[in-house]
Amino acid sequence: MAYPYVSDREARVISAHFGDPLHRRVDTYVQRGGYGALKKAFGMGPDAVIDLVKASGLRGRGGAGFPTGVKWSFMPKQPTKPHYLLCNADESEPGTFKDRELMRWDPHQLIEGCLIGAYAIRAKHVYIYCRGEFFEANQVLARAVEDAYAKGYAGKNVLGSGNDIDVTVHQGAGAYICGEETGLMNSLEGKRGLPRVKPPFPAAFGAFGQPTTINNVETLCAVPHIVTNGAEWYRQWGSEKSPGTKLFCVSGHVNKPGNYELPLGFPLADLIEDVCGGVRNGNPLKAVIPGGSSVPILDAQEAMACKLDYEGCVAVGTMLGCASVIVMDETTDIVKQVRRMVDFYAHESCGQCTPCREGSAWTAQIMRRIENGEGRLEDLDTLMDMTQQMVGTTICVLSDSVAAPVQSAIKKFRGEFLAKMPAAVLEGSMAGVA
Amino acid sequence: MSTPPKNVPFKNPGWAGNTGEFDLTEDQVRGDDFVGERPKHGGHASGAGTLPYMLAAKTPEAPLFEGEYKQRLEKILTRYPNKRAALLPALALAQEIRGHVSPESMDRVAEVLGLPAAYVRGVATFYTMYNKRPVGRHLVQVCTNISCNLCGAEEVLAAFLRYTDTELGETSEDGNFTVIEAECLAACGFPTCVQINSRYYENVTASEVPKIVEHLKSVELKTAGGD
Repeated sequence: MAYPYVSDREARVISAHFGDPLHRRVDTYVQRGGYGALKKAFGMGPDAVIDLVKASGLRGRGGAGFPTGVKWSFMPKQPTKPHYLLCNADESEPGTFKDRELMRWDPHQLIEGCLIGAYAIRAKHVYIYCRGEFFEANQVLARAVEDAYAKGYAGKNVLGSGNDIDVTVHQGAGAYICGEETGLMNSLEGKRGLPRVKPPFPAAFGAFGQPTTINNVETLCAVPHIVTNGAEWYRQWGSEKSPGTKLFCVSGHVNKPGNYELPLGFPLADLIEDVCGGVRNGNPLKAVIPGGSSVPILDAQEAMACKLDYEGCVAVGTMLGCASVIVMDETTDIVKQVRRMVDFYAHESCGQCTPCREGSAWTAQIMRRIENGEGRLEDLDTLMDMTQQMVGTTICVLSDSVAAPVQSAIKKFRGEFLAKMPAAVLEGSMAGVA
Repeated sequence: MSTPPKNVPFKNPGWAGNTGEFDLTEDQVRGDDFVGERPKHGGHASGAGTLPYMLAAKTPEAPLFEGEYKQRLEKILTRYPNKRAALLPALALAQEIRGHVSPESMDRVAEVLGLPAAYVRGVATFYTMYNKRPVGRHLVQVCTNISCNLCGAEEVLAAFLRYTDTELGETSEDGNFTVIEAECLAACGFPTCVQINSRYYENVTASEVPKIVEHLKSVELKTAGGD
């Protein structure tokens, strides 16, 4: 990736053409071998494509890390109803900025991935649910889809194969919760983007009540490369359980923030120190969030030991999520930043489930009180207790996402919370101890 | 497909962050050259729902779904198995013409799509991108979420409020600016990110804000993005 910064430790597969405006043209894309994978897939047959993706070990890049081939294999093999493929391009997790770049710089790569995916799951219609704020990506993508239609890569009888696959760009309207797959389906159907109770799972009862598969942009972008080069080729990167490359979105206090495509399993320490040129001003590191705002925070010591794949992150008590690495140096006010994240969740809670609707709002209020120096000593226990009751008690995981940063911050940076407490509170507690 | 591209020296081309370090011009990067002037009737139906414009003249009383907009709505309707699914794109069309989605616009959308008016209100109020009341010519949305916040977003927000002479969520007296805080705009590597109408301004620092505000005052809105 040539922009904004490059590292020679990258393995650029899906981000190979970032920064090259010409690559967005259908002619250039085809000249460079584009839509070759689609032809190849049509020659293989849908089940062979699914088996290939299974063999490659590609896992969903939207956060959950579910094996893509397995997800596709849940779709009925003999369609009796229309099938749909939804591409989740509603990227809005704080810290994540990969899907927008994939759509801006390489729209045809995504469209080709969508077409292959649709063919594999026997869908005749793909909806790319693109976040509403991405006007530019929306236009680039819409233009690319129009070009794909004009060249016969989409629509009726794609490439003379007898397959009809329609692609529609659907523009969202500003709601984080629509990135949750069932919320996305509701939103696509013209409803409030409220997540649905599962089961029924989307493969049985999805968009418009029909069998549906939902994949992230980055997942679908990897598919053409796997089809072209094979499963073994893809497995040259990463580990047995987490093969392949992944875009790491690095933001915050590093010298060179940006998207870096690296093999899974890359050490977080190297990512920060080497690839991103270290922490700004040479400051000591305080904390890192490795997977977007919904995952537990790591302190500097844990971060240095963390390997960036699905298993490696779990080993240090966090999650890879969508690999959005937010780096914080020693000047960071952890309490304030956690409060900002909780504010976000309180704003974005859809309000269906009481633990989330009430919990996120009250958590935000208590956090704000502590930040303003009006905290009470029992506040930390209240926060821990309350957020614990928000885990696993709701329809979707937005509620759990509030708990993760709050609980981990209180555990690892308790001193910072106490430092914000009024002197009287602290003295009182010391008196109690004595 | 794995031809290595030639190394393009390039920093993310936010207008405000463009400090002359780049070999590519903004036009080459986002450019008219590529996206082109997309027709008001929306081009191919597959992309008709995306919003190519934010009209310069936002007329709150303009008729909805007539002429080219009627064509566009009809194209949109062909892309979904039922009419209800066209609700979000239809509301977006209404906002494109009128600048905001008033209760009257919602009712009109309900009528066109054959949906209960109360249902449309319920959906429209769920989504943040539909302005429920009129906004200034330039809707300035400053991301203050964590990644931008770590890099000084609050100072950028304060600078916008100061130089546009307005308060958070209010519209300036000359009707030029409405400044609001936004949640993560997914440009975290290019902080601070500011969305002004449909255009992203990346790598914005507080000291660049006066320049941006002056620039916005001087431009005539014609297409999406403002300049």
